[in-house]
Amino acid sequence: MLDLAKMALEKAMATGVDQAEAFALISRSLRIKVYQQEVEELASATGSGVGIRVLRNRAVGYAYTTDLSESGIAEAAGEASANAGITAADEFMELPQPAADADFPEMELYSAKLAATPVQDKIVLAAEIERTALERDERIAQVEGATYAEGEGTVAIANSLGLGRQYRETSCYAYAQAIAEQEGQMQLGMSFTTGRESGQLDGVGVGREAADRAVALLGAEQCESLTCPVVMDPFVTASLIGVIGSALTGEAVQKQRSMFAGKEQQLVAGTVFNLVDDGMHPDGLASAPFDGEGVPSRQTKLIDGGVLQGYLYDTYTGRKEGRPSTGNGVRGSYRTMPHVGATNLRLTGGDRPLAQMIAGVDLGFYVMEVSGIHSGANAVSGDFSVGAAGRLIRGGELAESVREVTIAGNLSTILASIVAVGNDNRWVPFGGSIHAPSLLIGEMTVSGK
Amino acid sequence: MVIEQQLAAKALAEALKRGGDFAEIYAERRRSVSVSLEDSRVERSSAGLDSGVSIRVIKDRNISFVSTDRLDEESVLEAARLAGDGLAGGGAQAVSLSLAKSGYAHAIEIPPGSVATSEKAKMLHVADEAARAAGSEIVQASITYGDDVSEMLVANSLGTMAIEHRTRVRIIARVVGQRGSVMQTGYESVGAHQGMEVLAGDTAAHVGRSAADKALVMLDSKPAPSGKMTVVMHRGFGGVLFHEALGHGLEADTIEKGASVFAGRMGEKVANDMVTLVDDGSIPGEWGSNAFDDEGAPTQRTVLIEKGRLAGLMYDGLRARNAGVASTGNGRRQSFRHHPIPRMTNTLILTGPNQRDEIIAATERGFFAKTLSGGQVETASGDFVFGVSEGYLIENGKITTPLRGATLIGNGLTALTNIDMIADDFDMNIGLCGKDGQSVPVGSGQPTLRILNMTVGGTEV
Repeated sequence: MLDLAKMALEKAMATGVDQAEAFALISRSLRIKVYQQEVEELASATGSGVGIRVLRNRAVGYAYTTDLSESGIAEAAGEASANAGITAADEFMELPQPAADADFPEMELYSAKLAATPVQDKIVLAAEIERTALERDERIAQVEGATYAEGEGTVAIANSLGLGRQYRETSCYAYAQAIAEQEGQMQLGMSFTTGRESGQLDGVGVGREAADRAVALLGAEQCESLTCPVVMDPFVTASLIGVIGSALTGEAVQKQRSMFAGKEQQLVAGTVFNLVDDGMHPDGLASAPFDGEGVPSRQTKLIDGGVLQGYLYDTYTGRKEGRPSTGNGVRGSYRTMPHVGATNLRLTGGDRPLAQMIAGVDLGFYVMEVSGIHSGANAVSGDFSVGAAGRLIRGGELAESVREVTIAGNLSTILASIVAVGNDNRWVPFGGSIHAPSLLIGEMTVSGK
Repeated sequence: MVIEQQLAAKALAEALKRGGDFAEIYAERRRSVSVSLEDSRVERSSAGLDSGVSIRVIKDRNISFVSTDRLDEESVLEAARLAGDGLAGGGAQAVSLSLAKSGYAHAIEIPPGSVATSEKAKMLHVADEAARAAGSEIVQASITYGDDVSEMLVANSLGTMAIEHRTRVRIIARVVGQRGSVMQTGYESVGAHQGMEVLAGDTAAHVGRSAADKALVMLDSKPAPSGKMTVVMHRGFGGVLFHEALGHGLEADTIEKGASVFAGRMGEKVANDMVTLVDDGSIPGEWGSNAFDDEGAPTQRTVLIEKGRLAGLMYDGLRARNAGVASTGNGRRQSFRHHPIPRMTNTLILTGPNQRDEIIAATERGFFAKTLSGGQVETASGDFVFGVSEGYLIENGKITTPLRGATLIGNGLTALTNIDMIADDFDMNIGLCGKDGQSVPVGSGQPTLRILNMTVGGTEV
């Protein structure tokens, strides 16, 4: 695998560029979807490709290919080199120097058990999710997409400054969306769990939770508009944090599109709020020994006690500030150039049980799901208004179910009014990899009737 | 050809060795170019080749699907074998393949491959300069150009084979305006299933300028109110609301599973007589158009709601077969790595009897939604939510104050019955639609129209 990256590196340097980097990825995936206790879909895929980044006169060019023959790679190298003639020269553009071996964290991201477990066991797991959800409550009409999925990949990076490393990883998840039905109304409930191998997945738990979440929303109606405290469950917190994470990159700040620009060492959130980018946590699916340009992963404090500590950097955005990369040059695949982004975002230090949060609210809204995050949350302006469903809280107890309302506020104000952080963190793999607990927000606008 | 016809036929035979009712092979080779600018500098220039093949075998309602990014004979046949291993039983036989025809023919005047990347980069500067010239409060412009040229071959055990060359070109501007501590954004894009001719003339400048104007207007905006309001949707952008709120519930897979509010309601009156909704993948040159869908069925115009009555659904091959009807050419996939599912192409509300000015004048107090930033729907309940990136208050029949931070929320069926005026000023917009983890290009469009009693979710109670 590293040989492939090195071969691509050679082809790239042969085009007469100053620096070059090759990123190679080989992957395999499997997905099983069960419907009415039968395998509805069994899908497997293999893939591999190489991405080549080159620098000439401090201008960067990029190309990728799935044609891994020598001629295919040489062609991509030529395109990358030509593309360096298109972009503007930039004094800060440079590839990272290879770090010392000791700087690369050791972590267990690969489990041989994943591939060794028979497909039949994984089918049984997906079927178990569906069966559990259906048996959980008679109002569960069906389970849409009871799914088991897994992936396995090997990543290698080599650059002309002497870097040459690789790692392999496995991951899997189980997912279900249950549909509850009562008096003509349908409500959805979703659940999932992640792991490095299928034996770590709790299918029964996923089935139960999906069913419980769907049933909890049955009978939901639009409520009157009000301004009140809001309790967010971890799924909802994760959506909020995903938006905030995008504004905490060095790039967003440098390009004047971050609500956090110029606020280092200022109070930007409730004092109970701590946020860390953690590229090393063994359970985080975005963990890796190094980032998409070969810089060792680490932990970076972003917000501590409500005070903004700093931003995330890749090599380029870091050099612009005279700072080192924080190991946040991420990339989804060989198709994209590395760019600065979050790895695993973790909210740490929460100590409040969810029940206690709810008990402390006289009239409020317990938000179980939000929709329209991509269109309704703007990390530049801070405007935030999204669709929501959940339960009203009356006298410290969960009351009637609510749907078809929005919750709105300005992101800065919402962060500042976080008054309690839950002790119920869980990994949410949607819209990033986020370890999120429940949150209590002092006040938000709920729009309904 | 991505792969030879002979290899396609061989792979189908291999896939059906263990049984199965149906087998299909889809091969694709795609070249993409992307150039982007920010801080008035071209920052990224990328070119890529993505190619591969997938085999799908169906037995009853069960699907076995295998993809690989190798196109050599051995890899293709191995994928076919693996796909066949996923299922057993059934008795389909491989048959000889014949090339399908479509009434749709692409007219690509200027293939993107014939234009130097440096010329594409120049357009970014044109858009950037136009955006920055719009006002001194413009602090950032991010402009992206992209083209995608692909060749696909799809063949199946029914004997159908289709080959299509597809060319898409798009330019996008995202602009940031700042006044004091207030920052607002504006977005504009132009794209088509056409060559570089779509960006001829002053298109790039228009895109930059339009995004900048939106950001500047929003700097003057006030926080949006919350509660029930009469909403007037500006032509073009509002189409995405109907795409989400109605379209997804009319895709045959959600209907088949009963996970749609429209399930079992065919022929029912669901809207005012003036409402007609169609999906049309055969409009020449449109962003969401193709000659064939990704299963080799010719694209067509499908009437979904006719004069307020539910009239049709969007089918792919599998759901059509299950329902005993013909595919409507809506079986689409993101790439060879994905299996086809029913998807919209270009989804349109047709023109109505009113005039735009008449609609606004008839609205004493309301919300004018000029640009939507996208949305989401839960097909089971029909509940939807949309962000409004550019909105205004309507007072005494006139458009007045710009409003920020508004979200529209409602239920597809309810919103449909609350449409009471439709104008004759039809326009379209382009976008990417996500479903089941797959993203495909879609168009949506509508004339200016009015919806009574919608919930606007702002911050002001």
